[in-house]
Amino acid sequence: MDQKISVLLIEDDPDYALLMNLYVNEACGDALKYVLESASSLAEGLDLLARKEFDIVLLDLMLPDSHDLNTLAQLRRRAPSIPVVVLTNLDPEATGLKAIGEGAQDFLIKSKVDAQQLRRAIGYALERSRLFGQMEAMVRGSPDGVVIIDHSGMVRYANPAALAVFNRKADQIVGRLFDFPLAAEGATEAKLPGPNGERIAEMREAPIEWKGYKARLVTIRDITELKRLEQVRAEVKERRRMDQLKDKLLSTVSHELRSPLSIIKAAVGTIRDRLAGPLTKEQQEMIDTADRNISRLTRILGNFLDLSRLESGSASVDRRLFEPSELLREITDDLRMTYKGKDVSLLADLAPGLPQVNADKDMIVQVVANLLDNALRYARDRVQVRTRLLGEEVVVSVIDDGTGIPDGKSEDLFNKFVQLDRPKGGAGYKGTGLGLAISREIMTLNGGRIWAENVKGWGAGFHFALPAADPAAAGGRHAAGKK
Amino acid sequence: MPQEKNKRVLIVDDERDLTEALALRLTAGWGYSVAVAYDGEEGLRKAAVFKPGMILLDLAMPKVDGWEMCRRLLDNPDTREIPVLIMTAWSTGDLHARAAEEGVIKVLLKPVDEQELLSILRANVGTSRKMIV
Repeated sequence: MDQKISVLLIEDDPDYALLMNLYVNEACGDALKYVLESASSLAEGLDLLARKEFDIVLLDLMLPDSHDLNTLAQLRRRAPSIPVVVLTNLDPEATGLKAIGEGAQDFLIKSKVDAQQLRRAIGYALERSRLFGQMEAMVRGSPDGVVIIDHSGMVRYANPAALAVFNRKADQIVGRLFDFPLAAEGATEAKLPGPNGERIAEMREAPIEWKGYKARLVTIRDITELKRLEQVRAEVKERRRMDQLKDKLLSTVSHELRSPLSIIKAAVGTIRDRLAGPLTKEQQEMIDTADRNISRLTRILGNFLDLSRLESGSASVDRRLFEPSELLREITDDLRMTYKGKDVSLLADLAPGLPQVNADKDMIVQVVANLLDNALRYARDRVQVRTRLLGEEVVVSVIDDGTGIPDGKSEDLFNKFVQLDRPKGGAGYKGTGLGLAISREIMTLNGGRIWAENVKGWGAGFHFALPAADPAAAGGRHAAGKK
Repeated sequence: MPQEKNKRVLIVDDERDLTEALALRLTAGWGYSVAVAYDGEEGLRKAAVFKPGMILLDLAMPKVDGWEMCRRLLDNPDTREIPVLIMTAWSTGDLHARAAEEGVIKVLLKPVDEQELLSILRANVGTSRKMIV
């Protein structure tokens, strides 16, 4: 190591300074080289320290402009990080030990110093200072606040993290009484005002020795974020619990309603079919009305159950490959009979040879049935079912010729119990307000999507898209799934 | 078919109001002869004596419930072949799988659709057990 160690000697006795210079430059067989500069007063020494870098200070305590430990204190205040070895003759041991207590690395008794002793003292002082520097860097850099409180309750040290948590400057804490209550054991939580709202700090204390005295080390951790996270987690848990409760309630209620409803239906059916005796025309009309509304209530309950099952994830999805146009053909053929009595014609515009999709066929049938049910309620004269290949998706559309969906309302439709007041073209048949919510759940479970968009020249259009099972087949190749 | 003329149906349900109306429909409306039981125990007893061509069975009942009754019908050689249809208000997730395991021919959710019930009766009363769903 041929690095030079620069030493600042602050010593008013020129002869002694000369001697020290001699000592440090004497060949001692080690590789260390020293460069020594002298100052003859504390003021001159501080001036030099301010202008130049030194590795270590050799400090005489008795100077023309400063005496005793005050000399050390002044130097430490101006240059707190530089290692200091104190030179003393006054009451050597006591003064020397006090000096170490005040932050000096070592002390030498002036009358007894020789070259070797001096060089060893400098070497040790530098090493100790380096180690102390490392420790101090660790504490300084710690993300947790560290505060040292002496036996009188005064704060002797606070690292930057502690200052940040307490939102105070060093001189607002250090040298003052620590004014936060601490539990004797375990952690104490303290609420602290901060520039961006209240912070929560967790403080723990441990006994330590500080400069030979009993003291307390307090670590402070900012747990504001942790607390917030805990709260969010608790809220999420509670929300999930409420959701489950709601699902359970929904399921229980709809099941409990089924039993009495089935009795009413059986009784009303018995009267309607005149099994309990003849009816007048008026009675027959009334009982038919009752019967229709029992059916409606049954549908609502069925939808409730479907939706709670879909939302809770307990519905099993049986995905298989099928060709959508074929399925739509079957559905529209079946339904054309139903439409016949309604003065609304059902048209099909189905693209041939679409790629297959991978979905639960029964669920898709349910979606189409929901959409057609809707369309029938709002159509004036016509409802059209379309299938198209768009990119790598098969899009199925159910379009009516009603007044369409008002601007900005198309997403609302997929919420539960939303029925827009669209003027009705068809019969006064009422829906359950759940069909589209169910359809959306189904599409999500099947990897598809569903949306509403008015269609030019028509009214409202409801569209759902399923990805083509084999993207390579999306170029118009005929589907192979015909059985 | 040895039991071609068997148009007897046993209804097992603890809801008396429902069984009454249903029995009336089956007898006066559709021409079946009907016996009624209000719990599974009575149901098993009547099944052995009445020898119905089909059993319409509720699940939640006192004493012996619907599932237990299904099992005991299968255990008895005299009742093993009688087709069983379940009518329930509770559609739990595993309902259909369980019904298939117990040899039930069909599950109908209450309130039961009359037309569907009639077509099942027409196709199955007096035949031996054969699962539809």
